[in-house]
Amino acid sequence: MEAVYAQYAWLVPLFPLIAFLVLLAIGRTANRSGPVIGVIATLASFVMALLVLFEQTAEGGMAYVWNDLEWIRAGDFVLAMGYEVNPLNALMLVIVTFVSLLVNLYSMGYMKDDPRITVFFSYVALFTFSMLALVISENIVQLYIFWELVGVCSFLLIGFWYTKPEAKAAAKKAFIVTRIGDVGLFIGILLLVWNMPGHAIDFTNIGNAFASGDISGGLATLIAILIFIGAVGKSGQFPLHTWLPDAMEGPTPISALIHAATMVAAGVYLVARTYPVFEASESAMQVVAIVGAFTAIFAALIALTQTDIKRVLAYSTVSQLGYMMLALGIGAYAAGIFHLFTHAFFKALLFLAAGSVIHVLHEQNIFKMGGLMGKMRITGWTFVIGALALAGIFPFAGFWSKDAILAEAYASHPVLFWVALITAFLTAFYMARLFFLVFTGQSRAESSEAGHAHESPLVMTLPMILLAIFSIGAGFFNIPGSDRLAAWLTREAPEHHASVLVMVLSNVFALAGILLGWLMYGKRTIPQDWLSARATWLYRLSYRKFYIDEIYDYVIVRPLRVFGYFLHLFDEFIVDGIVRLTANITLAIGRAGTRLQNGQLQTYGLVSMLGLVILAVAFVGWRFVINAG
Amino acid sequence: MLDNIPILSLLVFSPIVGILALLFIRSENGRLLRIVGTAGTALPLLLAIWLFSGFDFGGGRQFAEQALWVHLPLPTEFVPGGVQYYLELGYSLSVDGISLALVFLTALISTMAALASFSHIKKRWKAFYIWFLVMEIGMLGVFTAQDLFLFFIFFEMTLVPLFFLIGIWGYKEREKTANKFLIYNGIGSAFMLLAFIMMITTGGFEIRETANSADYVYTSSMETIMHNMVSADSYVNSAAYAQSPFHLDEGTLVLIFFLLLLAFGIKLPIFPFHTWMLKVHTEAAPSVVMLHSGILLKIGAYGLIRFGMQFFPEQIERYALLIAVLGVINVLYGAVLALVQSDFKLVLAYSSISHMGIVLLGIASLSEIGVKGAIFQMVSHGFISALMFLLVGSFYERTETTALEKLGGLAKSMPFMSSILLTAGLALLGLPGLSGFISEFLVFVGLFDTRPVLTVLGVLGLILASAYVLRSVLRITYGSMDARFAEVKDARLIEAIPMIILVAFIVLIGIYPAVLSETIGTAVTDIINGIGG
Repeated sequence: MEAVYAQYAWLVPLFPLIAFLVLLAIGRTANRSGPVIGVIATLASFVMALLVLFEQTAEGGMAYVWNDLEWIRAGDFVLAMGYEVNPLNALMLVIVTFVSLLVNLYSMGYMKDDPRITVFFSYVALFTFSMLALVISENIVQLYIFWELVGVCSFLLIGFWYTKPEAKAAAKKAFIVTRIGDVGLFIGILLLVWNMPGHAIDFTNIGNAFASGDISGGLATLIAILIFIGAVGKSGQFPLHTWLPDAMEGPTPISALIHAATMVAAGVYLVARTYPVFEASESAMQVVAIVGAFTAIFAALIALTQTDIKRVLAYSTVSQLGYMMLALGIGAYAAGIFHLFTHAFFKALLFLAAGSVIHVLHEQNIFKMGGLMGKMRITGWTFVIGALALAGIFPFAGFWSKDAILAEAYASHPVLFWVALITAFLTAFYMARLFFLVFTGQSRAESSEAGHAHESPLVMTLPMILLAIFSIGAGFFNIPGSDRLAAWLTREAPEHHASVLVMVLSNVFALAGILLGWLMYGKRTIPQDWLSARATWLYRLSYRKFYIDEIYDYVIVRPLRVFGYFLHLFDEFIVDGIVRLTANITLAIGRAGTRLQNGQLQTYGLVSMLGLVILAVAFVGWRFVINAG
Repeated sequence: MLDNIPILSLLVFSPIVGILALLFIRSENGRLLRIVGTAGTALPLLLAIWLFSGFDFGGGRQFAEQALWVHLPLPTEFVPGGVQYYLELGYSLSVDGISLALVFLTALISTMAALASFSHIKKRWKAFYIWFLVMEIGMLGVFTAQDLFLFFIFFEMTLVPLFFLIGIWGYKEREKTANKFLIYNGIGSAFMLLAFIMMITTGGFEIRETANSADYVYTSSMETIMHNMVSADSYVNSAAYAQSPFHLDEGTLVLIFFLLLLAFGIKLPIFPFHTWMLKVHTEAAPSVVMLHSGILLKIGAYGLIRFGMQFFPEQIERYALLIAVLGVINVLYGAVLALVQSDFKLVLAYSSISHMGIVLLGIASLSEIGVKGAIFQMVSHGFISALMFLLVGSFYERTETTALEKLGGLAKSMPFMSSILLTAGLALLGLPGLSGFISEFLVFVGLFDTRPVLTVLGVLGLILASAYVLRSVLRITYGSMDARFAEVKDARLIEAIPMIILVAFIVLIGIYPAVLSETIGTAVTDIINGIGG
């Protein structure tokens, strides 16, 4: 079948770009119509993305590549831009446009009273454009370009409330920390440019070169690791995870869109997109799997003790992205993408529900919440659905995708399997803690606003309800036994690693986590400080996020600054000092000269004289050196 | 159509129209002076656009104009055999793609700077615009001259006006700064003059056979000298060489090469010859710095490419490692220092050092991609730094400080200028979609094949760049605002127009680099072919 819609896939990113330009042009004069423009553009993109996806899923759907736009040419290096449609990025297009559409809608309510609402919607439109363009990029430089652009949009949106010092610091940190990862990716691209035959750096050729063994061994490992460093930065993997929780300073809809559902998944997408590179190197795969598994449990441990509702969710995002990386690292390609797919729905949902709470209470500390279930029924119930999906309880979406990963890990990497399983337990526990503290019990709010808390408007609850439906149902696209997603993504029949034992185990662990959470924070039969009182240092370690920020501060930031000040002194006193000394000496000579001539010598004349002297010295000196040598 | 018109001469000397007009206006009539002065820069811009439209991208040097200017018989008593020697200084202009790009950059930024001066310069407009236009002649001439002597004269024509522009219209330490500038650059041009003289006496020696006699000529024509120096082996064996009293041996070539490296290195500037430009950045009026940082620093890079690479292909190859190391030092040294500055103008000054390091890396790559990147960097940084100092001028006019700790939260009262500042900052740190990325990408790709380690070190500069740019730009625009700035007005139209134009060019090159890469393409290929790689 001829690909028809795929040829017009460029329309998907185009609509938000137009929206961005329009919003930029009309500026703040259009606080009313601005949001509508954003929503309509995203809706158009979403419809187009759906058409592209359906065409890809149809019988015999063909991948489509167009790359005729010559962008730059230097010698035999020619870089052409274009776009590509294949199952993976068709799926991503739909995820991104769907979440973006819902977040746009939700923001109409959430940001209603903000005087810069048009600016907000223009940033969101620019982000949506960049992310979609990243997804359909046809070569890795093009991907890198949009990769950086989504980074900037993220930066702009984190710092949206720019007068807040925390927002400013968080925005800066997000940009710089991810940039460290980007530099790794950049060097990886340089290696690819020079090692790919004919400097061809489009994904198809890259895939072929690595799959056929043209590039292999140490070089393949190096390139894979460098690409992975980029993914580590963007997807908040250890050790570059520190920016993501701080990014919660941005407006909550942004946390849902960028820092949970879409952009942070770009790292996972990058690894998936360049998967043949990783498959060419056993050790690179190992690194991806271990970093992923470590990040999963590490972030979950931190999430246990955080008190800010969004930070708990942020660490859970880091943890879940770790799961995806783990999946890719152990070769469970489809399972990783599947988890990316389901996670987008329930994590966006959780953030939007959290935003709904924050919108009403103007409070983010979970210990100052409580008893909201009665007042915010839709928010409460959708949050429960999201939490159960995240915890991986049968039959919610998260269960199926997490199970797919666990089953693969069980079959090949038993140690990583147990790490992942314990993480599942921790995840269920901190989500239970979050739910019971926020929605049940008595209100602990200090402000009077909590007294008349009410449900958010329909424009905010509707997106939550839609996401809740997908959080329940999205898993059935790929249940064991009919792995349609896997078969479609990889275009080959998947191997079956489904195991009833794993399913039972993961549910038992998750339920145990929920039970413990309920006992501590719901029913309160176990005192909340049962562990933290006995092992204070353990609690502090988790609460202070294992002191990673502090370590970076003392090991990198401060030494660099000290070095900078040292260089500053060096520059001022040594480098410029020598210059001043020379100038003073020559001036003295000049003064002597003027006295001799009994008249005033113009500066310019002085300079020419001085120049001649130096010339003569230099000339003689040179001759001397030449002859001596 | 363009064949019969000496368009390059018209272009280079077109600022004279403005100068003459200014001379007839009384110096009290400030508004008219500013209008005429600004209009005076529009003429070269229009001619530059015309030139651009007539340029054949297929290649070669174009619009050539030649005239014999000085034909000086040398005193015979010093010459053996009593033969008559002549010194021949030509008037010769032409452009290739590189020159064209830089001519256009010069014309455009001059107009932008003139517009900026309209509101930012507060006194003695007559003298200001006259010096401004004289300097523009010099800048346009430098990029088009095809004769060493002519090049030198145009080069000097940029120094003297800038000396006055700094010394009269600058800030507190303006006079001291002007002196420092002149001394440093005077030394640089002295080196250049010495190098040029050595080139004229060696490579410039020719015997011209005429009907009844032979002329022994020292010419300053760049074409002749380049030809003789590049093919030094055959030149040395030629009949002309046997008659030449000066010898073109290896040592001389290396000496000239290093003199030029020093002369243009001071201009660029290369560490450790950079301290003079820090002062210029902080003490000169921002609209003057637009020209200085936007165009004049590029003369250093232009000289290195034009003379270093074209006249000394062997030497540049041999000392490429040295240049690459100097480039990496510039990149990192400038970036680390930019990170700890407390004055925004100094952040920009050190960032210029860092960015000019990228030009050095591009040159040192000796590859077509890298040299293209170096030229992209010259043009791109020209636009970005001009935009930055336009903003500095506009902000300073309103806040009366550029000290970072005194600024903050300006996005609230000046959203337009703050967003432009952020855009300029993002361009400076090499964000894709803006011009800075293309140059860095090309340079690093070009250098990576031969010098991967130095490239990786240079790439680390990208992280530092994002750190120092965000630190300073966010310090100015984000955070809470000082109450003093609450009533400050955003950009006036006359400031907003050049800002938008400069942003437009930064974006244009960023998203469609082919516009520039096609322009400079064949010129770069020629240079690389000359090196033989």
